[in-house]
Amino acid sequence: MSHVNYVVFTIVLVLFLLVTLIGFTAARWRRAEDRLHLNEWGLGGRGFGTFIGWFLIGGDLYTAYTFVAVPSAVFLAGAVAGFFAVSYTIIVFPIALIFMPRLWSVCRVHNYVTPADFIRGRFGSRSLALAMALTGILALMPYIALQLVGIQAVLTVMGVGTTAGNAFLRDLPLIIAFLVLAVFTALSGLRAPTLIAFVKDTLVYLMIIVAVFYIPTRIGGWGHIFAAGHAHMAAISPKTHKPTGVFIPTARESQIAFATLAFGSACALFCYPHAITATLATRRRDVIKRNMSLLPLYSIMLGFIALLGYMALADKPTVASVKGPGKGNAQLAVPYLFQHMYPSWFTGICFAAIVIGALVPAAIMSIAAANLFTRNIFREFFKPDASPRLETRVSQWASLLIKVGALLFAIELPKTFSINLQLLGGIWILQTFPSLVSGLFTRWFHRYALLAGWAGGMIFGTIAAYKTASPTASHWASSTDIEFGHTVYIGLSALILNLAIAVILTLIFKAVRVPAGADETLPHHYTADPVQAPAPTPAGVGLGAAGTAGAAGD
Amino acid sequence: MTQPAVKARNPVAAHPVTSAVITVLVVADIWFALYVPLFARATPKVGDFPFFYFYLLIYMPATGIVMWIVYLLQKRLRPAGTQEAAPAAGEAR
Repeated sequence: MSHVNYVVFTIVLVLFLLVTLIGFTAARWRRAEDRLHLNEWGLGGRGFGTFIGWFLIGGDLYTAYTFVAVPSAVFLAGAVAGFFAVSYTIIVFPIALIFMPRLWSVCRVHNYVTPADFIRGRFGSRSLALAMALTGILALMPYIALQLVGIQAVLTVMGVGTTAGNAFLRDLPLIIAFLVLAVFTALSGLRAPTLIAFVKDTLVYLMIIVAVFYIPTRIGGWGHIFAAGHAHMAAISPKTHKPTGVFIPTARESQIAFATLAFGSACALFCYPHAITATLATRRRDVIKRNMSLLPLYSIMLGFIALLGYMALADKPTVASVKGPGKGNAQLAVPYLFQHMYPSWFTGICFAAIVIGALVPAAIMSIAAANLFTRNIFREFFKPDASPRLETRVSQWASLLIKVGALLFAIELPKTFSINLQLLGGIWILQTFPSLVSGLFTRWFHRYALLAGWAGGMIFGTIAAYKTASPTASHWASSTDIEFGHTVYIGLSALILNLAIAVILTLIFKAVRVPAGADETLPHHYTADPVQAPAPTPAGVGLGAAGTAGAAGD
Repeated sequence: MTQPAVKARNPVAAHPVTSAVITVLVVADIWFALYVPLFARATPKVGDFPFFYFYLLIYMPATGIVMWIVYLLQKRLRPAGTQEAAPAAGEAR
């Protein structure tokens, strides 16, 4: 720890300890009668209003990886690779407004905890629900690992734990931070990240407001920042003999890539189990609708975070630090920018914002994945008569195991591999979109057709992503590839294939009268707005009464 | 097991104009963020911001306002008095 700035280190440590304290005491906040019910541990009692909901959902959707990876993508390649995220976080809200209130209502009426619970009840299909649950867990693991990569970027720039040769010692700070997170999440459930989200958002807003108003005065104004970005993107790369990036996507090809990336990612976001977990934790249907108009406030921040990439390009010492000899990790662009721009104490606050910004979504993601495991694998296939208490216990342990798994991911595998897996995670989770969203509006699709479409989309998307190459990587190089002569987001082309298979097979299965499965929902459940949270009695829990009798029969 | 009378009138059929306005607002909000040729230009610059960047940044608060209008319009779709008539927990099955 030779180059550690102790002012920065102390501030990060103090804020981390504060958050740890909040995490452990969160179990007492809005305390419930029966703490050991999955609705309590896994959904915070399903009672959050508009204000808390805003912090929870916002803190959940905008991850530390956003703060680090989006500006680093802008730093490297400009508008199409990075700034599409702004367009994506604009349209995610109108898209979510179309289907999330219906999902909230039906989950409230039937006490569903996970999206796979809903699929199980709607389509009466254990296999389709299992596919949804596995996809969710599979997509969340690398996403959690990426939160760690974000923390690692900050620790690297701080000079903490980078000198030791031993991998375990080198990552010891990260391991300690993550174990603390794992323990308080297991104890306090969703209440912990909800409370910590208040700290996170305060710090992140402070970080961004100061960056937007202060940094341009230090490096020659916005005009200079955009000019530096433009010059960098227009420069011819020695590796590819093409321009480095796209400053403004005027070419038709880059416009199609921009739009398909934004649209596909926006459809995928609210299919992620952690986004659904945060939404289901709200009290009323209106809370979600109001938040769809309040959450764009958060996205304004994202727009400026993305521009930090150009700020880093405009600051020569930062560029030198990032691209110095033996370096070349663009994810360090923002941490280095802060370090060069700010006095130590404010650098410490910004670094703490990124670290805490990683903890909140990582906690919610592990809770969401644990709920999927408990409800849709453990209970469904191993212990159908599990009591709510046992469910909660299993979820607590599952959340711990999932986090340890993600930790190994982040430490053992090369960073680029985690990023590739996260890219794949987005493609995978998008393949649950047809079952989830169509199910909220119609039972027209056949359950096995949806399953076949899902499998087709998963296989196509994985292979297509594997085949993408760049001058620096032979595989997993990009989230876009060329279909029918256009550069498009792989997730979106896989989704179209998925839908096509589902439509064709639905027609066939209906013609030969393959059993469609039981549907335990009724039309008015999708617009219901129950005041009371579902009663936490064992008999009324989720699929208990209607689902496990085997009436579904698949 | 009281079944609520919410099915008596389909709110969309009862308020065709409001429903149409909601649909147009939501679709337009998605479309104008995705139709890149509309805003992929450096000029006119707003302050020091190239138009492309200014457009996407100003689109954010605009979306928030549009979503709020949609929320208010959707409230009008709900027939008065049925707001609390939705089935309470447990009545569902």
